Amino acid sequence: MSLSGVRRRSRSWGRRQLFSLFSSLGTLLSHRVGTLMTVMVLGIAMALPIGLYITVKNLHALDLQQEQWGNLTVFLKTNVGEQQARALQRTIDQEPGARAEAISPEAGMEQFRQASGFGQALDMFEENPLPWVIVVTPEPAEGEELQTVVLRLEAWLQQREETDLVQVDFKWLQRLAGLLELGDALVSVLTVLFSLAAVVVISNTIRMDVANRSEEIQVLSLVGAGNGFIRQPFLYSGFWYGLLGALLALLLFNLCLYFISQPLERLLDAYGNSFTVVNLGVGGFLFVLLCGGLLGFIGAWISVQRYLNQINSSGSLARF
Amino acid sequence: MITFERVTKQYEGGSTALRDVSFHLDSGEMVFLTGHSGAGKSTLLRLVLMLEQATRGQVLVDGHNLSRMPMRQAPRIRRNVGMIFQDHKLLKDKTVFDNVSLPLMIAGLRYQDIRKRVRAALDKVGLLSKEKSWPLTLSGGEQQRVGIARAIVGMPPVLLADEPTGNLDPELSRELFGLFRQLNEQGVTVLIASHDLALIRSMGQRVLVLSQGMLVDDIPGADIAGARA
Repeated sequence: MSLSGVRRRSRSWGRRQLFSLFSSLGTLLSHRVGTLMTVMVLGIAMALPIGLYITVKNLHALDLQQEQWGNLTVFLKTNVGEQQARALQRTIDQEPGARAEAISPEAGMEQFRQASGFGQALDMFEENPLPWVIVVTPEPAEGEELQTVVLRLEAWLQQREETDLVQVDFKWLQRLAGLLELGDALVSVLTVLFSLAAVVVISNTIRMDVANRSEEIQVLSLVGAGNGFIRQPFLYSGFWYGLLGALLALLLFNLCLYFISQPLERLLDAYGNSFTVVNLGVGGFLFVLLCGGLLGFIGAWISVQRYLNQINSSGSLARF
Repeated sequence: MITFERVTKQYEGGSTALRDVSFHLDSGEMVFLTGHSGAGKSTLLRLVLMLEQATRGQVLVDGHNLSRMPMRQAPRIRRNVGMIFQDHKLLKDKTVFDNVSLPLMIAGLRYQDIRKRVRAALDKVGLLSKEKSWPLTLSGGEQQRVGIARAIVGMPPVLLADEPTGNLDPELSRELFGLFRQLNEQGVTVLIASHDLALIRSMGQRVLVLSQGMLVDDIPGADIAGARA
């Protein structure tokens, strides 16, 4: 085939695409209520995995502030006084990979009073029941695992005679990591399930669309339209459904995020984390939209192809 | 242009619509196909349009052997054959213009060209003023002419019509046949299935007669009454 032939063919292909694109948009707009309902179902279905994904992603962001989670809290025996406590703090400070801070019973009580809101109940104690506490922050050297440092410090501190109890936040960290792993898996499973649901919903919508327009399809076949030409407007319809569904999902999700992000940030601030909620970002937005469109395309393809196979094999076209 | 060689069409369940039919239409001929209903006229046209394939024998259209072609090639054949249906087969939710433009949309022509050719086709059938109308607001005869405009807009070398005057009064029918003759004079091969014998006689063209699926007569135009009139 000559170059000009190729050019002519690709141009007429482009024109057919444009024709299908607009005729599919026209169809969607002419059935506003039906379109809206389909898009809403899709939007809600797609918003769920997006929401969970962002939740897990934010928990991962917490995970990054490992320094805090790896702290060791050393509760000293009640008979250990200020001098001994300060001496121990200095000893720990000289230890490589550790930084220590001593908290007096009074300071501890004050912190507890502010954080817990049990102020009046605490007044009932005649004397302060809290011991001296030393908070040890591990500082791993370059290339050293946080976990090894924490375990080394824990073993060493536990042997000291002043020590009553060593509490490591590390266990918590491990549990959090486990939970995050579970969350990741859950996101994957939910994404697959809801994508499948989106394909089914769109496929069903397009199936009804096809049934409603079976007369048009037959006429198009009679005047020489190939399967490709007949398929195109429906594929575009599917694409639009998916895209609009994804758009609505993002909208719904961001609306929810808007309402929960402020209380959430306040809550996390109370735990001593300066925290900003992580959102999808531009790339993520575009990716969700693209995936929505693609799912719609697949759903539409399944329905139209089924119908085309049916009319081509049964010869129903011949009964004009 | 159209050749049938010993064509037999059997349907599942055993009924035979065409038996051993052979004939040949030259390019530029105008031929009527007649016979009682159920004689096989529609089946014959369906084979030319490749809506189905012959059980035995060969169907050749414009050099293509349809009996040897896979069905997925059918759209390509249909684009070269204009077909006019008894019930018009117009899309009710599209304007006259959009209905007529369908074959050109399928071919992927430029919009300017589509516009020009659709208007030319509508002009030819005398409906240029109705291009923005909806099919259901037109009379039966007008709808039939929209169907004709759609059939000729792609300038196919072959035109088929299945009982095109079925629902029209005699005067409109005569007008319609006059239109077919005009198209034929411009070089289009025309094959019309009709049982309106009086009208066929008045046209003075070759007539094929089907009866119970068999071709029982092939009368040359010179022997038809209208040729002497």
